[in-house]
Amino acid sequence: MDIQNTQSQMRKGVLEFCILSIIQQGEVYPSDIVEKMKLANLHILEGTLYPLLTRLKNAGLLNYRWVESISGPPRKYFVMTEEGKAAFGVLLQTWNEMATAVDQLTSPRTNITEPTTEVVS
Amino acid sequence: MNKVININFQGRILPIEEMAYETLKQYIESLRIYFANEEGRDEIINDIECRIAELCEDRLKKGTVCIAVGDIDLIIASIGRPADFEAQDGFEASGSQSQQSTTQNTNNQSYSNFDTTGQKPKRLFRDEQNKVLGGVCSGIANYFGVEPLLIRVLWFFLIGVNILGYLILWIAVPSSSVKEVGGVRKRLFRDLDNKIIGGVAGGLSKYFGIQVWIIRILFLIPFIRFMVNFKHMHLLQFWDAPDFPNLFDITFSPGAVFVYIVLWLVLPEAKTSADKLEMVGEKVDLNSIKNTIQNDMEGFSKRAQSWGSDLYNRNKGANESNHEGTASTINNDATYRSSEKRKGFLYYIGRIITLCIKGFVYFILAIVGISLLAALFGIGAAATALLPLRKFLLEDGAQTWSVIGAILLFIWVPIIGIVTAIIRKIAGLKKANVWVRSSFWALWVVGWVMLFYFGSSLGNSFSRHNVPAEQSIALTNPKLDFLEITAAPKMKYYENHWFQIEPFQGFSDEDTVFVRNLRIRIVQSLNDSFQVKIVKLSNGKTVQNANELARKINFEITQQDSLLYLDKGIGINKIDKFRNQHIIMTIAVPIGKRIKITNKGWSQTNVNINGRGMRMGTIDRISSDENWYDEWNEPWDNESYQFEKGVEYKMTKSGLEKIKRADDFDSNDSSDELGGDNPTELQKELKELKEQRLQLQKELDKPAKKTANIELGEAKSLNKVKKAASRLTDLHWVLDRFSY
Repeated sequence: MDIQNTQSQMRKGVLEFCILSIIQQGEVYPSDIVEKMKLANLHILEGTLYPLLTRLKNAGLLNYRWVESISGPPRKYFVMTEEGKAAFGVLLQTWNEMATAVDQLTSPRTNITEPTTEVVS
Repeated sequence: MNKVININFQGRILPIEEMAYETLKQYIESLRIYFANEEGRDEIINDIECRIAELCEDRLKKGTVCIAVGDIDLIIASIGRPADFEAQDGFEASGSQSQQSTTQNTNNQSYSNFDTTGQKPKRLFRDEQNKVLGGVCSGIANYFGVEPLLIRVLWFFLIGVNILGYLILWIAVPSSSVKEVGGVRKRLFRDLDNKIIGGVAGGLSKYFGIQVWIIRILFLIPFIRFMVNFKHMHLLQFWDAPDFPNLFDITFSPGAVFVYIVLWLVLPEAKTSADKLEMVGEKVDLNSIKNTIQNDMEGFSKRAQSWGSDLYNRNKGANESNHEGTASTINNDATYRSSEKRKGFLYYIGRIITLCIKGFVYFILAIVGISLLAALFGIGAAATALLPLRKFLLEDGAQTWSVIGAILLFIWVPIIGIVTAIIRKIAGLKKANVWVRSSFWALWVVGWVMLFYFGSSLGNSFSRHNVPAEQSIALTNPKLDFLEITAAPKMKYYENHWFQIEPFQGFSDEDTVFVRNLRIRIVQSLNDSFQVKIVKLSNGKTVQNANELARKINFEITQQDSLLYLDKGIGINKIDKFRNQHIIMTIAVPIGKRIKITNKGWSQTNVNINGRGMRMGTIDRISSDENWYDEWNEPWDNESYQFEKGVEYKMTKSGLEKIKRADDFDSNDSSDELGGDNPTELQKELKELKEQRLQLQKELDKPAKKTANIELGEAKSLNKVKKAASRLTDLHWVLDRFSY
């Protein structure tokens, strides 16, 4: 089995959920998302973030607003739409179920080597 | 010193170094290609551009005077290159950072061949650090983990083959120091979006940045030629015969189908968008190729020099150490040095020996491999080229299909398989999947089966002999004393081998080929007249079949005075097929009479005189069936008397004897170049020449029609006349001598 592939599949699965959970906390600028994720020990390239945001926006989950900046042209800030909030709720529920399930399955053992469990923290 | 330009980038005025600007431009271009199929790509690009502009401004605020290449590189690294997007596909948890760092830092490592982690498949790159010309050799050496020198030597030995290969590799193999802007590098893919058959042409056109139809036409040229040239409307003949033997000439035209199939099998499909990006890559147009070559050539002399001096130093070092080792004139300082050097000397000796052995082994292996492949290829091509003739040999149905199948599956399939495997190996692609490989093997096994079937069925077709029957040819005046045997005139015929199948060119009747299965035996006649007998022999599936075929052999013998005209070959048509039809002709020559077989037209026909014409003593030698076949099959040349064609022989009691030439009687006579053998012949020649002269004179008298060539023509004819006249006088002289 291709471990790396599985790993990337796992990450890919939760990526959108992570981003949505950041935006759900309030209006946010893309580079702030990167910063926040970095703080949580998750690294994402801006080059991958932008297309994802655009996709989510086109799906109607997000919206953006032009915010004047101190210097230079206005910046694009992303907010969550009502639709997005609903979707986030569903995802959150799924995640909780999954996390409990995975915890339960992996708990008898030491789970230091399992990278996905760190995502929960 | 760098030029700084001001750009208006997403509403911000940025002072940026020209180099950095170029880098930025290329990076954005690479993004554009990467997101080409993404919905809302303009928006994405715009957002990213905004972000870049913002980051640039941040730098300027921190006190940088202008944006330099380093700044741009940092910014690009933080946003990521298309290659990284694909590799990362998402984001990374830092927990596994150590493992993943290779992909994160692709820009530094992706072109290193020393990637020992084994995570990435080994790939072939040109080695920019150790190059002499284009770095191809050292790249290959790197790939196989051997000395570059070894590869260079091998390359040099095979130079004829390799100049083209070197150029192709130079262009196609990415350099280890490819300026990686936005991760753009170029690889050949099959373009599935633009495909008609396999997407090969599409991929090539993307790679070379030209219109796809140009490639398609290049591939189609052989077909167009093939369609236009109706002579070559044979099944499965992809190239003109004259083009074929040049194996190195497999450019787009002659072997297009072959090339196409190989490329189809070798090239990966451009599946991911990163692949598509790589497919277009950096533009490889003539200019960039020229630039690469120019740049490389500039450094070439320098590198060659340093390489040379390096070698020189090594040798010198080696010699010195040798010298110092024997003579003991060493000071303290030098002791140290010499010990260093001695170690170096031994080291180099050892190395050279290993290299030689390695090189030799590789060389032999390469030679064997290449020649095997070439032989296979040759057989395949020859068999394919002979396919149009199959109707003359093979029965319709199973036999024909089995031979076509055997050629395709038994010969061409392994060729394509081997070539594909080699290219895959070199290009560092992983092996073709199990299905492809096992189907190749399966096809080959089927090829074996067909080959065996074909062999046995063809053998069966030849398994029986006819019952031979001797047939006398009536001569109009058998008592003449000279018989000349010659080929029937006006037959265009190829002559190369004793046994040969050739399309019968120059005749409208293309349903017939001629085989030259004729042997002539000369024996002593018992009475005073010439006798000619022939035996027609043939093989066949059954005895009846063989008899039938032998009966159908149409072999014309016509007599004209002392001239006996024979057909040059046995006609084989498509219905009766070739079943080893052959003819043994026996000529009985009475004692004291002369015979001559001309060598014009059919020089390869076997003429045989067993035991100087004395064997068996008689022509009436009806023997049992098999004897005729023995007669045919025995190596006549070994035991037979060396019969020269074009020379007259006289039958004597003890066998044939060469008639001595006129000049041999009289050694003083210098007129031997006339070649006259006897008075009658000379008289004949004289007559001919007289006629010739008359004709020439007539020609001269005729008013010339074309004014242009009058003078030339006249001069020529005059010359001819002069020659004829001089020969006439010569002949007269000889004749006089004879009659005397």
